[in-house]
Amino acid sequence: MWAVIKKEFKSYFTTPIGYIFIGVFLIAFSVSFYFTVLGSGNVNFEYIYYSLPTILVLAFIIPLLTMRSFAEERKSGTEQLLLTSPISITKVILGKFIAALSIVFITELLTFMYFGIICYFGMPHITTAIATLIGFLLFCMSYIAFGILASSMTENQIIAGIISIGFFIITWVLPDFNTNLSGFSFINMFYSYTQGQIDIADTVTFVTFTITCILLTMILMQRRKSVK
Amino acid sequence: MIEIKNVTKKYGKFLAVDNISFEIQDGEIIGLLGPNGAGKSTTMNMITGFIEPTEGTIVIDGYDMSKKPKKAKREIGYMPEGVPLYTDMTVKEFVTFMAEIKKVDKKQRKEKVQKIIEQTGLKDVEKKLTRNLSRGYKQRVSMAGALVGEPKILILDEPTVGLDPKQITEIRSLIKELGKTHTVILSSHILSEVSQICNKVIIINKGKIVAIDTPENLENKVSSQNRVYVTVEDGENKIDTVVKGMKEIAKIEQVKVNEDNTKQYMLESDKDVDLRKIVFQEFAKENITIFEMKKADTTLEDAFMKIIEGGNNDVGSH
Repeated sequence: MWAVIKKEFKSYFTTPIGYIFIGVFLIAFSVSFYFTVLGSGNVNFEYIYYSLPTILVLAFIIPLLTMRSFAEERKSGTEQLLLTSPISITKVILGKFIAALSIVFITELLTFMYFGIICYFGMPHITTAIATLIGFLLFCMSYIAFGILASSMTENQIIAGIISIGFFIITWVLPDFNTNLSGFSFINMFYSYTQGQIDIADTVTFVTFTITCILLTMILMQRRKSVK
Repeated sequence: MIEIKNVTKKYGKFLAVDNISFEIQDGEIIGLLGPNGAGKSTTMNMITGFIEPTEGTIVIDGYDMSKKPKKAKREIGYMPEGVPLYTDMTVKEFVTFMAEIKKVDKKQRKEKVQKIIEQTGLKDVEKKLTRNLSRGYKQRVSMAGALVGEPKILILDEPTVGLDPKQITEIRSLIKELGKTHTVILSSHILSEVSQICNKVIIINKGKIVAIDTPENLENKVSSQNRVYVTVEDGENKIDTVVKGMKEIAKIEQVKVNEDNTKQYMLESDKDVDLRKIVFQEFAKENITIFEMKKADTTLEDAFMKIIEGGNNDVGSH
C-alpha cells in the first residue's frame, strides 16, 4: 500500500494538481481571512474555515484531487499493471485515498500560520480551532471517498469531476430545499465542529459515509473484472 | 505450468472466448495467433487475472487464479497491449514502483531493479521520463516492468507492434533470450515472428482454438498439395499439349511472362510424386528449355489462412 501512496502523492506534485489545490485553497482562505479578521475585526480562526470563499472553492478543488485516480488509470491502461500485480485492490483504493487526504492535511497545516497571525491581534480559541481542523479533515475525507468512487465509475476524468462537483453542490444546498434534509447536509455537520464541539453522531456519519464509498469502489472494481 | 480448463468469456451476449482448454509446460515459448478480435487479448487478460472468465478455471503453477489470486499473480509478468506506462515517472521510478507493488524484498530491491534495467538495455535512459521515450524504449520499459519480481511466466501482448525493423529484431532476440529462463506466452498476428521465436503455436479464431502445434508441423499439414514453379523458353507454345499428355499433372497455370520472353508456369499434381523429375524429362524431349524450376514451399501464412478459412475444421490436438 505504501508504494501506491508514495506514487500517488508524488504524482500530485509532478502534475500541477497538488500545487493548484494548495494554492487555490490558500488564496480563498486569505480572502476569507481578509474579510473576517481584517475587515470585521473578528479573531475567530474557525470563521475563516466556515466561510463562503473556502467552501465554494472546495467544491471545485476536491474533485480535482480525486477525478484522475481511477479514470486516468483506466484510460491509459495502467490499471492493468495494478490489477495484475499481487497487490490487492483494497490496498490500491486505500493508497489513493490516503494520498489525497494527505494533501488536505498538508493544506491544513499551512493554514495554521493564519492562527499565528490572529494571535497577534487577539486571543483565538485554540480548542475550537483544533475541532475545526478535525471537522474539516472529516468533511474533506467524505468528499474524497466519494470522488474516488465517481472516478472508478468512468474512464473519463471530466465526467468523474462533474459527478463529484454535482454531489458537493447538492449536499451543500440540500437544506435550502427542505429543512428536513438539513441532517444530510455535510456543511451543517461541519458547522457544529466550528462551534468547538466534536459531535459523535456527525463524526460517525462522516466515517461511515467514507467507508461506504470505499466499499462501493471495491465492489465496482471487482465487478468490472467479471463484466468487462 | 499453466492449465486452462473449459474457459469461456462472454461480454453480454457476445462470446469472446468459447470453451477453450490447453496446457502450457514450463519453459515453452508459446505463440498465440489469430486475426484481430479472435480473443487473443481476452485470453491473456484472463490468464493474468485482469478479468475473470465467465466459466472455467485457470491454474497457474498449482494456484487457482480465482481462489488464490495473489500467489498466482506472483508467478506472472505481464506486458499489456499498447504498453501502458505511468508517464510522469522516470524509467527507474517506474521499474522501482513495479518492484514495490510486486512485493520484491526491500533489501534486494535496488539491486534487482538495477539488474533488470541493465538486462533490458535501459541504462542510458533510466533518468528520463517515460513519456519522452521512443516507442522502442517504451516497449523495453514495459518489458522491464513485466520482468520485475522474477516471475516464471512472461505474458507479452503484441510485443513488437509499432516498432521499426531494427527494434523488432532487438525485442525478438530479447524474448528469445528470456525464453531460456522463462515460460513465455506472446500474442501476435505476424506469423513469421511466431515461427522464429516460438516452439508451439496456438491459433485462435472467433474465440475457439483451431490448432495447437509446432510451427513446422503446421506448415507440413497444409503443404499436402504438390506444386512446382517452372520457367521455360517455349517459342512454339508446345507446353500446353505436352502437359496434357502427362497424366501426373492435374493443373497448369501461367503465372507471368518475363521480359526475355520466358514464361513461368505453376504445375500442380494430386499425386505424391516428385514433379520435377518428370517435368525435366518430358520437357527435354520436346525441346522446351527449362530456365528455372522450384518446388513451392508453404509458409506459415498459408497454414494460417487455410486453417482460419477452414473455420471449424479441427486441426488441433485438443
